[in-house]
Amino acid sequence: MLLIPYLIAAYGLLFVKLRWGLRLFGVFIVATIGLLTVMFLVEAYPIIARDGVAVFLEARWDPVRESYGVLQALAGTVLTSAVAMALAMPMALGVAVTINEILPARWRGMFGSLVDLTATMPTVIYGLWGLFVLGPTLQSLINYLPGGMMTSPYTLFTAGVLLAIMITPYAAAVIREGYALVPKPVEEAIYAMGATRFEAVLIKLRYIRNYILGGFFLALGRAMGETVAVAMVVGGNFVRLTTNIFESGITISSLIALQFPNAASYQYMVPALFAGALLLTLFGLAINAVAIYIIQRGQI
Amino acid sequence: MTAERKVEDVTAVRMVINWLGLGLFALLGVAAVVPLFLIIGDVYIKGIDAINRLGGLWVFLTELPPTPFDERGGVGPMLVGTLYMTALGALLGIAVGFPLGVYIGEMRREKFANVARAGVNVLVEFPTIVVGLFVYAVMSLAKEDLNRYLLYPLSKTLSPVGGWISLFIGPLDGFNAYAGAAALSIIMIPYVALITASAYASIEQPLREAAYAIGGREFNALFVVLRKAVSRAVVTAALLGTAKIAGETAPLLFTAFGNTYYAPFTGPTGAVSLWIWYAAQTPYDVQIASAYGAAAVLLTIILTIFIIARIRS
Amino acid sequence: MTGGGSTFVAPQMFGWSKTFYQVTGGKIQVNYQSIGSGAGTAQFLEKKLDFGGSDVPMPKDKYQQVAGRFVQFPVIIGSIVMAYNVPEIAYQKTGKYLNLTAEVIALIYMGEIKQWCDARIKALNPGLADKLPCKDIVAVHRSDGSGTTAAFTLYLSEAYPVWNQTVGWGFTVNWPADQKAKGTGGKGNEGVAQAVLQTPYSIGYVEFAYWAKNKDKYDQVGGVAFVRNDNDGKYYFPTTENVAMGAAAGLERYARKYGAPPSPEADWNPVSIEFTNPPRGYPIMSFTYVFLWKDYAAEGYGDAATKAALLKEFFKWVLTEGQKQGNIVEGYIPLPSEVARIGLEALNLVKP
Repeated sequence: MLLIPYLIAAYGLLFVKLRWGLRLFGVFIVATIGLLTVMFLVEAYPIIARDGVAVFLEARWDPVRESYGVLQALAGTVLTSAVAMALAMPMALGVAVTINEILPARWRGMFGSLVDLTATMPTVIYGLWGLFVLGPTLQSLINYLPGGMMTSPYTLFTAGVLLAIMITPYAAAVIREGYALVPKPVEEAIYAMGATRFEAVLIKLRYIRNYILGGFFLALGRAMGETVAVAMVVGGNFVRLTTNIFESGITISSLIALQFPNAASYQYMVPALFAGALLLTLFGLAINAVAIYIIQRGQI
Repeated sequence: MTAERKVEDVTAVRMVINWLGLGLFALLGVAAVVPLFLIIGDVYIKGIDAINRLGGLWVFLTELPPTPFDERGGVGPMLVGTLYMTALGALLGIAVGFPLGVYIGEMRREKFANVARAGVNVLVEFPTIVVGLFVYAVMSLAKEDLNRYLLYPLSKTLSPVGGWISLFIGPLDGFNAYAGAAALSIIMIPYVALITASAYASIEQPLREAAYAIGGREFNALFVVLRKAVSRAVVTAALLGTAKIAGETAPLLFTAFGNTYYAPFTGPTGAVSLWIWYAAQTPYDVQIASAYGAAAVLLTIILTIFIIARIRS
Repeated sequence: MTGGGSTFVAPQMFGWSKTFYQVTGGKIQVNYQSIGSGAGTAQFLEKKLDFGGSDVPMPKDKYQQVAGRFVQFPVIIGSIVMAYNVPEIAYQKTGKYLNLTAEVIALIYMGEIKQWCDARIKALNPGLADKLPCKDIVAVHRSDGSGTTAAFTLYLSEAYPVWNQTVGWGFTVNWPADQKAKGTGGKGNEGVAQAVLQTPYSIGYVEFAYWAKNKDKYDQVGGVAFVRNDNDGKYYFPTTENVAMGAAAGLERYARKYGAPPSPEADWNPVSIEFTNPPRGYPIMSFTYVFLWKDYAAEGYGDAATKAALLKEFFKWVLTEGQKQGNIVEGYIPLPSEVARIGLEALNLVKP
């Protein structure tokens, strides 16, 4: 309704006064996010009114008694994302370096396309693969090591590994962009100093740390928002808070996806789920704030 | 003498580190794609076998999906739905994501641009089902007015064109393809924006100054002259985004709803991803097979788009 | 026509829909999607769907809001089996299946019975007692809200009152086993089925078809349990006949208690309680109900007259032809004719 004239105006402005046109797009996205957050607040209000902030600070899920807490879901999101990023960032860096430094020119396009292809797989297929292949494989692997204990194939760790595979291409895409655009003079200077290939790589990576950060956030966002694949392999234990990644758990996104379809039958479940979404949003904003702070301090 | 030997040792150590380090990167890079082969292989093996068993490619692409009794079937209605919603969603996603990315990347000195960038980072992480719920809420609020003031008169004016136009434009039901496309586009925007932003941010200053010098008007400079420099990144952004939304399930649940029959886009619409979601979790072999076949079809479409784009660029 | 709701009934509903589509020469499309019983009920009440499908009857609070304006009736029966994975007593190895009772199952999911060699399990299975290993039981449940869970927990609540007091029943419950023992969740019946197959020393509840399809695999690692009907003391194996016996017995008990079979306009929550844990037969089963409005025009649907007529035709077919052998999907159990009759009665109340 308002949307269509708004977008037409923004596009029109692009041609007349470019910068203002662009700014309108920025406004649009901030407005959309604002609206989404407002929706969360409105929907979550009933349970915040009833329980206060307890819903954010406790770990409980008892629909029969209408008692909910989403802390365990937040912990799950944090843990799975941490595992996923710890595995994905090195792989993404590996991809960028392999494409730009190691592979002969003919193979670069193909390898790059392969990596991009990982991003194109429907999440349901990843979920199924995780259910039938990855989960059991990881369970055998971990239980083989001394002290490793995975009672079920479907745990936070399984979800983290699956996420890592899924988010690598996003981080890789951003890092590849930056890597390929390291200016020639800079590259020549590095080699002129007598660096080995590997040392040059390290210097270049430091040079493009902006992109690495950008890729980091894209991948992190993807990991935190992934619903379907995680829902199928994370194990679904949401009555207690666990910090052991080798146990079954739950993330906020998968909690919403799993419980929402039947939530309307309960009085406070929908608000509780939206409270979870709100918590996720706040958490994301906090991470972004921290990142901006780091950047400004480091004068990147 | 001693100094030379020391230099040689140090160089030798550095060379070893060199090979180890590069080797590690190569290993990591390969590790990123190995699961892909496993999954693609699995999907294609089961999928092609399924398509053959269910009646062959043409049948599979056009017929209605199989019930547990059937021996043949296809994903016709769902394929049409996915193509339509993905195309629309991608169009809108690029239309909004691209300028947004230019804004964030090109004008990153501005404070508001950083706010927008933070906003986009947050948008990326929203659970996709929530985006679907948002569109559902908006749709519920706006449907009556939209139908009465815009779509009903519009469909009346367009009806002389032919009966088929009512399949596309007309008063909307609570669940329809356009709501699905809207949800998909919201999901796609941050991806396009962030990758485009990286591309524009990476243009070196001299190049940018040259572009402005040649281009005259800013619009010319940014979009025409610098086209070559950023086009590969923008194409990647568009492709990745499109491929991602083609496979999305959760946002479509309450917007497009799903449909196992051919029906107008103004009503509930099917999607391949929704069918895979449903069918792979039934215990009936014929439906599971159709899920793998559907996955194979979806993958092939995406692969084709990728290849075409790469060849052209 | 558009309907949605229970995931459990979706394959059967789709089977009916497509057969009906062919029978009517491609004229009538009934599009049913599995969005969950709760969502189906909510969307039906919001008039976004023409009919709703749900594994539990209209909840009491919502019933009070719309009483007299809608009808509900069962369309199909499903049954829930207890599959387990204990290699030492696998069916292929020993030729025997486990016997279980509601009490023991409840105690397992309450985390009170923690190991397979517990005395209470041994007491029920003297023939296998020496083979039961002292390993921790992994109790698998659903991670998504589910009608299957609702039926399962309702059964435990009715058959073992302590469960009712501590846990209760619903689409999702607070499983004590998650806290006290080893509990874990799987997404969908498929997730639970896979979890049981892949996790040694686990037990889980799944819909009949998911076990039946993988029967051989389950027999290799464990099997499925005979469940005792506490009302007549016999152990029943999950088969179509035993479940149908249970459904008929449940209806009888309701009629005896309330004087007449249930009306489609009534609140079916008490009905579902009578159907649960029936006097005879395999005791763990679930019904799927369909909700229809009585007056579509008054409720504000467009094309109300056509819709109502088509819905009546479709469901009449479902309750008559659809219950016949060739139209029932494997794993579902058709309604006994007395129960189907309630649905036909309901259709008469829908204004054409």
